[in-house]
Amino acid sequence: MSEKPTIWRALDRKAMAVAEFTLRQQRKRLSTWVVMGVGFLAMAVLTMFYIDSMLREFDAIDNDGDSRDFDMDGYPNGQENLYGTDILDPESHPGLLDPPVAPDDPSKWINEDGFDIDSLADGSYGYDDDGDCRTEDKTNSQRDTNNNNIPCDVQIYSEFYSNNAIINGDNDVDEDPDEDAYAKESIHRAFVLALGKFGFVFLIGIFVPLFMATGLIRDEMSSGTMHYMLSKPIARSEVFLYRIMGFLGLAWPYMTGMVVLAALVTGFFGPSDGFFRFSDLGVWMAVLLASLLSLLVYAMLFCLLGVLWKHGIILALPFAAWELGMILTTLGAPDAAILRFSVIGWAMNIVDAGAALTWTDTSLLIALGLWAGGNNSGSSYESSEPLTGSLALEIFASDSGLGMTPLVTIVVSVCVMLFQAATFWFVGGALFKSKEID
Amino acid sequence: MMPDPTQEGKGQTKEWKPDVDMPVVYFQGVSKSYGRIHALSNITLGLSGGVTGILGMNGAGKSTLFKLLMGKLKPSAGEIRLFGTDPWKNPAPYAKVGFVPEHEKMHDWMTALDFVSTFARLHGMTREKANQEAARVLDFVGLSDVANKQIGKFSKGMRQRAKIAHALVNDPQLIVLDEPLQGCDPLARTTVMNVIRELGKMGRTVLVSSHILNEIERITEQIIILHQGKLVALGNLHAIRERLDEIPHTIRIVGKDARSLAKDILEHPAVFGLSFPSDTELLIQTYHFGSLHAELPGLIVNNGHEVTLIDNPDDDLESLLGHLTGGGA
Repeated sequence: MSEKPTIWRALDRKAMAVAEFTLRQQRKRLSTWVVMGVGFLAMAVLTMFYIDSMLREFDAIDNDGDSRDFDMDGYPNGQENLYGTDILDPESHPGLLDPPVAPDDPSKWINEDGFDIDSLADGSYGYDDDGDCRTEDKTNSQRDTNNNNIPCDVQIYSEFYSNNAIINGDNDVDEDPDEDAYAKESIHRAFVLALGKFGFVFLIGIFVPLFMATGLIRDEMSSGTMHYMLSKPIARSEVFLYRIMGFLGLAWPYMTGMVVLAALVTGFFGPSDGFFRFSDLGVWMAVLLASLLSLLVYAMLFCLLGVLWKHGIILALPFAAWELGMILTTLGAPDAAILRFSVIGWAMNIVDAGAALTWTDTSLLIALGLWAGGNNSGSSYESSEPLTGSLALEIFASDSGLGMTPLVTIVVSVCVMLFQAATFWFVGGALFKSKEID
Repeated sequence: MMPDPTQEGKGQTKEWKPDVDMPVVYFQGVSKSYGRIHALSNITLGLSGGVTGILGMNGAGKSTLFKLLMGKLKPSAGEIRLFGTDPWKNPAPYAKVGFVPEHEKMHDWMTALDFVSTFARLHGMTREKANQEAARVLDFVGLSDVANKQIGKFSKGMRQRAKIAHALVNDPQLIVLDEPLQGCDPLARTTVMNVIRELGKMGRTVLVSSHILNEIERITEQIIILHQGKLVALGNLHAIRERLDEIPHTIRIVGKDARSLAKDILEHPAVFGLSFPSDTELLIQTYHFGSLHAELPGLIVNNGHEVTLIDNPDDDLESLLGHLTGGGA
């Protein structure tokens, strides 16, 4: 081996010595494993609920009522509509046509006209799967009730002021979506976002540093063992930094492992055409990035609070409460200016931007779920209540609050979080330097 | 504030230029107080080379003195220089210092070798070099056979020696030991004392604190006596004793026939008083402790007395301090 001095060889001295020492020290503590075990269990329990909802069947609802048979002639209303016979006259049904048509099983007319939720975009969209709009009995104007000069489509556009998606469909197009497919897709997305935001970035991101990083300097100062380290030629802010590095040496692999595990579980159980749902990887990567950064920033901050005061954890708890308030704010008002004064607000920007890059159609998916086939359909019978899953997704999905493109949002937010970490390190190091150690 | 980019053991990127004209340890009018309590007041001293014992009762300010010197505490007043550098502001001189803190608490989960080599790397040593050096100093303090044992399983004496090894790993010019003999069994005590004497012979500056006069006496003659935060004496132990010659000392002798022994001893000019607490016990009052103590064994042997114990009940730190501070024993 050559003795050429490289940066790694240099770092292997002080930085790695302290980091390695810290890592091994944490590993020897029972409390470390208790905190990590509780974190894992909490995430596992949340995931159980998710797996349960992926495995169950969501009741299919006949949103437009065309599986009914009003005139009791054996032909469901939908089939009669399609062939242009009178749904209220038992003497008029497709069986009397030439050639006669056999009656359909009513269940065929429950989820007969769902929206295609794989790729949604602004503009003209939708296809009249069951053919009751395209039927030749209708005039062109009957086929284009939304007046966009495209027959039998759903027009989606953004409202000028609010940017909300407006959905205006022609009658009898996409009026009876598949509840089960929609619920699974939206619950899946809602869960990925909820677990990523509240589970990893918030709960693990705050509580692991709260219990493990607050004492990084403080415990050693109280017990007197800090003397061994500080009687060596090392600046105290260096000790601060390298201790955090040691903490992250344990916390980062732990977080990465949990996120990868969650990505695997949701990949296998999530709705997909193939064996594994690869399409969420972008979101999970954003979640991983945000959670690793939040571990870093919170560790720096809590270690600082520990240096500041013997009972630093008491200072950390109100901060955690503040962050909880902020993460709740990001759900409803992601562009609130107050979020700039939090850590979690920036982390949420990263997750939301990652979700925006990966699932470009989430807001439309929500809008369609709330529209639920619309009640402008001529044959609307059942009330068009929001589809299962759409409200959950509406809660956990939000736009990133910076008003920039997703990629720029991620870059800016990462820079801000790194800056926060550096500031806490700088202040914490200065505080530590001014502390007398007995 | 910035971390050391070269990682070579310089505490700060700021260039460190040791002041060669300064003594290794320099205190100028240093005081340290916690609120109203004065832990140290107006200490002035300079030390370079040799072994110096810091004597003082518990709470006299020995540990405070060391912590000030090691930059752990900030002086309330005065100036401290360690190799000519203010230790509160710059950790760079620690490259040449080894410190054994008084705290009992150690990293019990580490093995002795781990403990010493991990902290050796903070001196900018590579992993391999640190392991080599750690093995060397553990051998020096006589712990090489238990180097791979966890510190938590060590006896108190072994723990003290592990702490000393930790302090010696960088081959320091100045070694500061805070109560290194505390809690040691006799064997460990001898080992630690030998180590300290050895360091003195190697020309290092050694500062060692204790509250037991006998311990310090066996290590060094150069002492500093602290009392209630004040420096009451500094110099050679015998010289300090000589100064105290005008003050009466007591020597206690236990033997078969105290009264016949008393007859012979009374002839010595230094003796001015005798008393017999019991038939076998004799207390001698003298102003010239040094000369009498030297001649006493001859006096006893020549006259054929049987003596089981010669003791100096006054010769402990309390009475020494009593005399020094003018209170009388």
